[in-house]
Amino acid sequence: MSHAQRAPQSPQTPQMAEPLSTVADTVIRAVRGALITAAVLIVLALFFGRLFGPLWKSLNVDESFSQTLAGLASLLLPLAVYLALGMGARAHRKRSTTQAAVITIALATVAVAIFYILNTSQGAGAAAEQSSLQFAATQTADGIVVDAIEPGGAAELAGLLPGDVITALRRDPITLAQLESAVAESEPDTPFRLRLLRAGEEMQLTVRTVAVAVESAGLKLGPIAAAWIGGAAVALIGLFGPPGWAPYILLTVSLSPLILGFAWLAVATVSYRTQGLLPIDAQGNVGGLTLENWSFLGIGGEAPATPIWSYAANSLFIAMLMTGVTLVLSSMAGYALSRMEFSGRRFFLSLTLILHSFPAVTLLIPVYLVLLNLGKIPLIGPHIGFNSIGGIALVMIAFGLPFGVWLMKGFFDNISWDMERSALIDGASRWRTFWEIILPQIRPGLLALGIFSFIGGWNAYLIPAIFSIGTKAANLPVYIRTLTGDTNAVNWNQVVAVGVFQMIPILVIFVFAQEYLLNIYSGGSKGSS
Amino acid sequence: MQVDIQNLTKKFGDVTAVADVSLDIRDGEFVAFLGPSGCGKTTTLLMLAGIYKPTDGTITFGERIVNLVPPRERNIGMVFQSYALYPHMTVFGNIAYPLKLKNVSRADQQERVKRVADVMGIGELLDRKPAQLSGGQQQRVALGRALVKEPDILLFDEPLSNLDARLRLTMRAEIKALQKRLGITSVYVTHDQVEALTMADRIAVMNKGRLEAYATPEDLYDHPRTTFIANFVGNPPINMVDVELAQENGQVVARCAAFTVPLDSERVRKAVAHGRKLTMGIRAEDITLGDDAALTGEVYAVEPLGREDMLDVRIGAESFFALATPQQRMRAGDRIGLHIDAERLQFFDPATGKSVLWE
Amino acid sequence: MNMNTSARARTAPTRPNLTAYAFLAPVAILVVLFFIIPALLVIYISMTDLATANFTSDVGQMTFIGLKNYETLFSDPYARKIFFNTVFYVLVTLSLFNVGGALVVALLTAHINRRAGFFFRALWLLPRLMTSTVYILMWERMVADPPYGILNQLFGVAGYGTVAFNTNHIWTFVILVNGIIGISFGMIIFTSAIESISKDIMNASLVDGSTAMQRIRYVILPLMRWPLLFVLSYQTLSLLTSYEEILLFTNGGPGVYQTEVWALTAFHRALSNYFGNAQWGYGSAFAVVLVIVGIVLAILYLRIFRFRELVSEPKIENL
Ligand SMILES: Nc1ncnc2c1ncn2[C@@H]1O[C@H](COP(=O)(O)OP(=O)(O)O)[C@@H](O)[C@H]1O
Ligand SMILES: [Mg+2]
Repeated sequence: MSHAQRAPQSPQTPQMAEPLSTVADTVIRAVRGALITAAVLIVLALFFGRLFGPLWKSLNVDESFSQTLAGLASLLLPLAVYLALGMGARAHRKRSTTQAAVITIALATVAVAIFYILNTSQGAGAAAEQSSLQFAATQTADGIVVDAIEPGGAAELAGLLPGDVITALRRDPITLAQLESAVAESEPDTPFRLRLLRAGEEMQLTVRTVAVAVESAGLKLGPIAAAWIGGAAVALIGLFGPPGWAPYILLTVSLSPLILGFAWLAVATVSYRTQGLLPIDAQGNVGGLTLENWSFLGIGGEAPATPIWSYAANSLFIAMLMTGVTLVLSSMAGYALSRMEFSGRRFFLSLTLILHSFPAVTLLIPVYLVLLNLGKIPLIGPHIGFNSIGGIALVMIAFGLPFGVWLMKGFFDNISWDMERSALIDGASRWRTFWEIILPQIRPGLLALGIFSFIGGWNAYLIPAIFSIGTKAANLPVYIRTLTGDTNAVNWNQVVAVGVFQMIPILVIFVFAQEYLLNIYSGGSKGSS
Repeated sequence: MQVDIQNLTKKFGDVTAVADVSLDIRDGEFVAFLGPSGCGKTTTLLMLAGIYKPTDGTITFGERIVNLVPPRERNIGMVFQSYALYPHMTVFGNIAYPLKLKNVSRADQQERVKRVADVMGIGELLDRKPAQLSGGQQQRVALGRALVKEPDILLFDEPLSNLDARLRLTMRAEIKALQKRLGITSVYVTHDQVEALTMADRIAVMNKGRLEAYATPEDLYDHPRTTFIANFVGNPPINMVDVELAQENGQVVARCAAFTVPLDSERVRKAVAHGRKLTMGIRAEDITLGDDAALTGEVYAVEPLGREDMLDVRIGAESFFALATPQQRMRAGDRIGLHIDAERLQFFDPATGKSVLWE
Repeated sequence: MNMNTSARARTAPTRPNLTAYAFLAPVAILVVLFFIIPALLVIYISMTDLATANFTSDVGQMTFIGLKNYETLFSDPYARKIFFNTVFYVLVTLSLFNVGGALVVALLTAHINRRAGFFFRALWLLPRLMTSTVYILMWERMVADPPYGILNQLFGVAGYGTVAFNTNHIWTFVILVNGIIGISFGMIIFTSAIESISKDIMNASLVDGSTAMQRIRYVILPLMRWPLLFVLSYQTLSLLTSYEEILLFTNGGPGVYQTEVWALTAFHRALSNYFGNAQWGYGSAFAVVLVIVGIVLAILYLRIFRFRELVSEPKIENL
């Protein structure tokens, strides 16, 4: 931590004494900023596109993420450059706002021109080519129906005929959209092994993609004007935009997948069907709002025979068992580790810390055997073995204990020693001191761990799914999954309703206990900072 | 209950917090442990309480060695600096807790808590939580909780240091009076020498884990055995000068770089017999200000203390604390004469810090 | 007083503190049952040929076959692919989301209005609080083909063609699905670290006239070394070994082992009875690799924790 003392000196001292910058200074600064920005993004694009992506390809990792990142970097490049130009000219606003704006727009104009020239010159070259199978098709319920074949094209060479119905690529069923994007993203001369139906008979054909030229754009004024206006606007945002907004915009944009997801959940629970984010009625038109999805609660329609309450009860039982037992056991052990002297204390402490970070899920295979054997114990066996709520809860409790013990220890560490000494002198045993004097002091800790365990138990999917069969010990998340299973016809919107129902307690806790929730995780990191 | 401590030692790893302390406490006696912070007072007290286990030595309550007796079997009461009240219980709950643990019946609890609370003057507060009390009230609750089970020994760990000066004064008197009335053997830890001097029957002065002295307040003040004790006890602190005693014209004179002063008293003669180079101690109240004196100095600073002014008088490089009445209107820069009461001087061996007058 | 008794009273050897062990006992039993025994058991099972055909829960009845499963594993052509899948997945998710993204979110929310920052952090916590089945349901809809898919609908509105998100771009979404959950952990740790940076240092740098970027570069980041290391080690382990979301989202597909990761393979081999021939022995071999990585990283993590400083001696002794 020794740099901390030196650190504050490093930033340059203020520019107060500096004279106001001249036009030349401003131009140089703005251009320099733009060039650095462009360089960074180009390096990123090259890194992900030419180095990182191919590396994983060569290792047989079938991903497109690197290419997406590279594409994103090049997509953002012009925007970032305009923005950088505007920001580079900000200092000039002190001298003259108009001058600053003029400089910014001028520079942006130059940048737009450069990008346009680069684009068109590239457009004339190799990059304007795209892979194609050279046939046209439409998606139907049966598959992809081939409508037309380009004469002399790849499809014709391979022997594809109009009227063929493509059903799968290799072994995987495929839609037209999937096929199109797979083709568009492939290198030229990539083989596509298509499975298709010709006159009711199943057969296979391999079509190789060829590179076809994309229609090259001439000098069109419309797009140029649009680019210029857009570029100048972005540059002006860089110049005048209140910098305080940037974090808000970034945070909101980064949260957009979640926002979209929640929007869909909200729409889907109250609609008959959804397409994208739109509710759709039986005729396929927008509309069709209904409460029928909630009929499992006896709302808005006839209640089906779904035993939702039994799953909910299992969920609740697991969650409460986990909360209760975890609280008692963690606080007992945390108390001993924090406040008692015994031989082996250091060993137990290091063991707790190691287990605290040890990934327990890797032990599920042998835990299965342990549960089977626990089930053989007479009398209590059926309640703590495989396919019992007790067994499921026990596994999750055990897996969570190292964290709980460590968290509790941290809370006990902060309790005044004098209070405990006082209790002992007053005549209490260690046990009574723990229960009557110390535990009441760590109520926030108990609350935090309790909430954490409850949410963990209520949400648990993997362990209940692995260690239960059928409905006996299954909880809501497992039930939700079986609802979406491929064996029965899925009423998606009812599934969503059950999912939202499952989320209600979580949302309630979330609303009332955000602060606790945000603090829980830092409990585990005590001493690391 | 009398307490006997023999060769008590406590080590925390490599740190020796208490080293070979031996002392006895008579039944009903009020003993103060006095010493600077970190000298091992609290550690000693906690060993008496049974919170820490002695590394070596014995603690005897009455006839019984209690080294390994758990706290709840020692029948002690303790008041902590932080009060250590149980924040989730009411005042009544706090005071009743020791009784509850002894399975005293509810009615008896009620009655005994009431009695103690009335003695402590907190009878009105029984339904409140500790957080709703002032520091002084919390202090009384803590004391009440310590007293309610009628302990054989009362332990105090700097109980007054969190209170303001005025309250400290009243509480000091109250605790003392209460202890006298109840006759409970008490051990009182403090770093404040005034507290120790005014409250204790005997004071155990501790320094770096060792027992420096164990004596009555008067004895400690008048006959300091070491420079540490002389320095620590008394306010303003005793003036210490390294001097050389010499015979001049049949008179003993004390000489240092700054001044030479003739001294004559029995103490001085005893000191001379011991050696020539000595550390001489003069308490501020043993210096009288006057015009025709053998010593003159310049007033460097005046600090009004209300009843009197404390002067910092400089003679050459030496600095002395002296006292003046406000009526004397001393100002910085005044030149004044200093009379030293030779019968009250202390002399120490500069090498060992031991007094040459008292063994 | 008799010298003998007094000597004994003083020097009686410390009795074991039974109270302390009683406090620890329930946790110790569960730890032995569900950590220690399973850790040993998984190693043993990995050296047996336990499968559906010869399944037994009696350890004594299993057939010991030595390192044969490991030989199979090392010569399994798919194991190689799965290995690199896992490396790719952990590396990318960790750097872009669990650490990098978390740091960015923490810094952004620390530089805006307190309440707003709190609000955004709370939102980021939501994915972690949802049950995985509903969370995945959401994502399945997100990437679905037209007309159901949300993203494809938006792309359509924006005038783009259809994209096969759920096949060709599935890795992107596997990473997003896990990364968006993963951000909150680091975000919380980093936020509390940023908030604990003393106001004096921050003010000093403000007085220096440094920009926000300079403050982050020279003041905040150097003080974040420990939290960074902590999140890095903790989240590496968690990404490496948790597979719940991938199981629900792609189940390793849609192509052959396209998004299969190591931990999921162990599960598939041993616990998912899909083909009716669970191979506990072979699955355990996969699990053992993770167990070993887990132990090594956990011990490393113990070092990072500066254990010594944390273990202060109790201030009440056992008489
Ligand atoms: N539980 C402990 N562990 C280690 N060292 C301790 C402990 N308690 C006290 N000490 C050390 O022992 C010495 C004496 O402490 P203490 O008795 O509290 O002093 P005092 O009460 O006189 O201020 C100090 O150096 C202190 O740091
Ligand atoms: Mg103390």
